[in-house]
Amino acid sequence: MDAFDLAVRRVVYARVVADARPPTAAEVAAELEHDDDEIARAFRRLHDSHALVLRDGSLEIRFANPFCFDSTPHRVTAAGRAWTGTCAWDALGIPAALHRDGHVDSECACCGEPIELEVTDEELTRGADLLVHFVVPARRWWDDIGFT
Amino acid sequence: MVYLRSEEHLERWLRAAGHEPGATFSAVTLNELAQRWWGSRLDPDWRPRPVEESQTILDDVGLTGAFWRLA
Repeated sequence: MDAFDLAVRRVVYARVVADARPPTAAEVAAELEHDDDEIARAFRRLHDSHALVLRDGSLEIRFANPFCFDSTPHRVTAAGRAWTGTCAWDALGIPAALHRDGHVDSECACCGEPIELEVTDEELTRGADLLVHFVVPARRWWDDIGFT
Repeated sequence: MVYLRSEEHLERWLRAAGHEPGATFSAVTLNELAQRWWGSRLDPDWRPRPVEESQTILDDVGLTGAFWRLA
């Protein structure tokens, strides 16, 4: 990953944290004072290297993991904002990435009953009795990251 | 990657979804993994993490064995 792509990624994540939404390619182009086409190519390279996930056939950012811009059952409150986690792992990844305490409202995959987890000073202080299940083996996580 | 309330709910969910059992562990371990895996994600000098380093994180939190091999 070259310096330009790293700079594009840095702007994307900075905008996600500041705005709780992903920037468009045009917004990143304006901030970095580059052509939209150059940023579009960088977005695609970042997608191909799993540094971002774009929507199919689009430049719209779907995941900047652990942050998710789809609707999922994993709602996270941290740093005074509401976020969405891609999955159970990413939901706890948001407080970790932000280095802040966090609260996760989610659901049991079996019964749909609400569950809550709390992270305080990096420790899980609520929800410690919950189980987590991974269906997909690690080497196949990126075969279909949406399902994973 | 889902949360479940108990072993009973896990078994019921696997049957209903038709999934082969994968790997089950505690939310405490998941938080340890999340802290290690995602803690550097917003660092200004972030670089893609070599697979070997990611594997070490999994190993360090006790997620070992064929299921957890990244490559």
